[in-house]
Amino acid sequence: MSAAELRFLDPAVLARLGTLELRARTVVEGFLSGLHRSPFRGFSVEFAEYRQYLPGDDLSTIDWKVYARSDRHYVKKFEEDTNLDCHLLLDLSASMGYGSRGVTKLEYGSMLAASLAFLMQRQRDGVSLTTFDEAIVSRLPPSARPGHLRAILGMLDRVRLGMRTDVSRPLHLLADGISKRGMVVLISDLLDDPARVVDGLRHFRFRGTDVIVFHVMDPAEITFPFERATRFRDMESGDEIVAVPAVIRERYRAALRAAQEIYRGELGAAGIDYQILDTSRPLEFALMAYLSARGRGRK
Amino acid sequence: MFGLSFLSPLFLAGAAAAAIPIALHLFHRRIDPVIDFAAIRYLRAATVEQASRRRFRELLLVALRVAALVILAVAFARPYLAASAADLAAPATLVLIDTSASLSAPGQFARARALATAAIRSAPAGQAVGVLTFGNGADLVAPLSLDRAGALAAVEAVTAGGGATGYRAALARAAEALGDRSGRFLVITDLQKSAWDTAGDGSVSGRVSVEVIDAGGPASNVGISSLHIDVSGAVAVVHNYSPRAVEPRLEFAIDGRHAGSVQVKVGAGSSAEVRFDLEGRSGGALTASVGDTEGYAADNVRYAVMDAADRPSVLIVTPSGAPSEALYLSHALEVTEGAGGIRPRVLSGSQFSELAPERLAEVDALAILGTRGIGRRGRELLAEYVSQGGGLLVGAGPAVDPVVIEEALSGLLRSRWRPRAAVSPDKAVLRFAPDDIRHPVFRLLGGVGTLTNVAFERSVLVAPGENADVIARFSDGSPALIDEQVGNGRVLIFASDLNREGNSFPLQPAFVPFVVESLRYLEFSRASTGASTGTATRSSRTEYLVGDLPGAEGASPGIVRIGGAEGQGSGRRVAVNVDARESDPTRIDADAFGAMVSRLQSRAAQRARADLQDREDTLRLWQYGLALLIVSLAAESVVGRRVG
Repeated sequence: MSAAELRFLDPAVLARLGTLELRARTVVEGFLSGLHRSPFRGFSVEFAEYRQYLPGDDLSTIDWKVYARSDRHYVKKFEEDTNLDCHLLLDLSASMGYGSRGVTKLEYGSMLAASLAFLMQRQRDGVSLTTFDEAIVSRLPPSARPGHLRAILGMLDRVRLGMRTDVSRPLHLLADGISKRGMVVLISDLLDDPARVVDGLRHFRFRGTDVIVFHVMDPAEITFPFERATRFRDMESGDEIVAVPAVIRERYRAALRAAQEIYRGELGAAGIDYQILDTSRPLEFALMAYLSARGRGRK
Repeated sequence: MFGLSFLSPLFLAGAAAAAIPIALHLFHRRIDPVIDFAAIRYLRAATVEQASRRRFRELLLVALRVAALVILAVAFARPYLAASAADLAAPATLVLIDTSASLSAPGQFARARALATAAIRSAPAGQAVGVLTFGNGADLVAPLSLDRAGALAAVEAVTAGGGATGYRAALARAAEALGDRSGRFLVITDLQKSAWDTAGDGSVSGRVSVEVIDAGGPASNVGISSLHIDVSGAVAVVHNYSPRAVEPRLEFAIDGRHAGSVQVKVGAGSSAEVRFDLEGRSGGALTASVGDTEGYAADNVRYAVMDAADRPSVLIVTPSGAPSEALYLSHALEVTEGAGGIRPRVLSGSQFSELAPERLAEVDALAILGTRGIGRRGRELLAEYVSQGGGLLVGAGPAVDPVVIEEALSGLLRSRWRPRAAVSPDKAVLRFAPDDIRHPVFRLLGGVGTLTNVAFERSVLVAPGENADVIARFSDGSPALIDEQVGNGRVLIFASDLNREGNSFPLQPAFVPFVVESLRYLEFSRASTGASTGTATRSSRTEYLVGDLPGAEGASPGIVRIGGAEGQGSGRRVAVNVDARESDPTRIDADAFGAMVSRLQSRAAQRARADLQDREDTLRLWQYGLALLIVSLAAESVVGRRVG
């Protein structure tokens, strides 16, 4: 963990905090307090202030009413619309139950979803939550009402691991059901056929929806640190594979890198943000990625 | 298998350690830990080893570990490629029939033949049988085969000859005929005691059992042990081996015509000399015979040649050529007179080096008592003389530099010697002990007693060459007299001085017959080489023993011509007689015979082990084994890493 990361909470530590709401609040408020010193200041949803226009400011942010009254150029900062619907899609497949260092991918994804919901609610965006495995398991429609956050957090508290992963099918179903411009945040380990996953996500883009993909991975899945011959059991199918890690480690990593390159290339080409989240990394990095993508989406 | 044998087979027990990896594989199988893992799809993409493949790898791993242990044990066992295993499969029976002169007593050989016939008929069915006769050499008269009729016919054809019994040579020839097979030797013989006295390298494999079948022998024997001509006439020696005195009559004949007879009284177990006046006759073939109806027939007649012959010439090389440097040797040779007399001539080393080759060719034997002055040309002369059949006696005294002899006979003489400061410290004085009392050198000594009185204070250490025979040893076991065939010639190395430097030998009575017979032996060697090769050699020797001369001439007693063109009747006449020691009917029992065979088997075992060691050293299969071990360990490491 780098020095920059040390000021954030370790997800494993965070997972041991009380309720999911408390965890989300801890993350988001800590994150927002840090933003006063950060280049992400422009995406805060708090008070909108005026300041004199400076070269380089986005022309769309100039408040023409003030200009009409004062004949001066002022930019209106941080005033946001509340009509953006954010759709959180959380993968509940059995493979999300894997965790090698105290926090599973599902726990990490749940905290991330909660934090994002908390952040979105503070921006007065409408938030929806959909959980799925090979089909949609549950869904909360988008809403910006203050009580809606509690419903989302309650739903996240109750999530249980599902069956096999089939990311594309729920994506197509959801894409067809979203009629309003918005943003889709997919939180998944993407252990599915990359082509089908990309195809499902493109469906959202066809409909003008911004998409952020958080590819959640456990550190052991990235480094494959096992040593002695091991019988690996598939958490979804129960199939077993005997392997000598020392022998296949490099080939495993190559296969993983190849899949990540497919996601990175294909999704990038489709205008979809793709972020790999190691469950050992603080959630604030995911929030930064979200806000960055959201900012780009508004331009 | 594949002719592979082992020098240290006990190490093969170490191969039992191969059971350890097998047992571990079967009974202590490691259980792989099970881990629930999510990203299985990437494992599958990484061509993960399947269970069946893993099982194969595990079996391969066990095989490699077992192979490594077995190879290690095999390498320590020091493998070598033995002779064809097929040869070892079929045991055989070889019947050895004694055909020496000591089987010539009335009815004796018929009994031996009947025993041989019975032995052949009683041989196990399906087992190869062969017949070998020994007496005058050893001949395989019926090679090993299943043809019993052929073997029986061969037995019917053999007769007793006039040769001397030699068990060592016979057993060695039999062992050669048997090859690597197992089997048994049935030795049909009269168990004559002196037959074990001959030197030789006889050896019998431990895979062979030797059974002796006693053909019996006469209780008494009277024979003529010597007949020679001197200035006073013919002298015959009659030996009585019976327990009572006898008075036989000796009949003399010249060129087949009766010349006279002499009756002589001979005590029990003793001998008597009979003189016969030749009345001035100087030529012809003399025959002496005695009527002995109980003992061996072969020694009842003895032959001698009265034809005039040149006296053999012996060249003695000393450091300065001074007579005193060869005083004792010269005097010993000068006392010989008559037809068998020897003419000694003393030369310095430098004079020898300047000798014309044709002059050296006239020399019958050469004695070297000093090497100083023998230059390059002298060494070349020496090498040429010996390689062409000349006989050389080396008295390895302080004046003889072994380097000169070794350089001169480089590539010919295998025996080496080096001076030793003194005799063994625990024994201040060494004694002389013949190994082979039947060797011609000791022919006239009449036993070893006279030689054992000789005291040696200084001697050299001789390392006999592979073709050399040790015919006498010092009392500490080191060689005292070496007889080595060198090219066509022969070299006798006496491991001390012959001019009274460091020993008292020249003062002993045995010295004269010793040096005379030694030089006659060398002279004879040259003559017989000439006879066998057809080269013209001059020799004065008129008497040979049965078997000395090559071919049919030397196979039986009588008067024969040698040195002439075949079928022309030219050449000179010589006498061929029975070895006098064949006349001694003293016998040993079967147990003593068995004990001697055991010694031969023990020697054979030692020699076989040395041969195997040489073969193993040559093949060095253990090195390949270790290389294979390294390869298998490397493979084990690779496979083991993949199995985890």
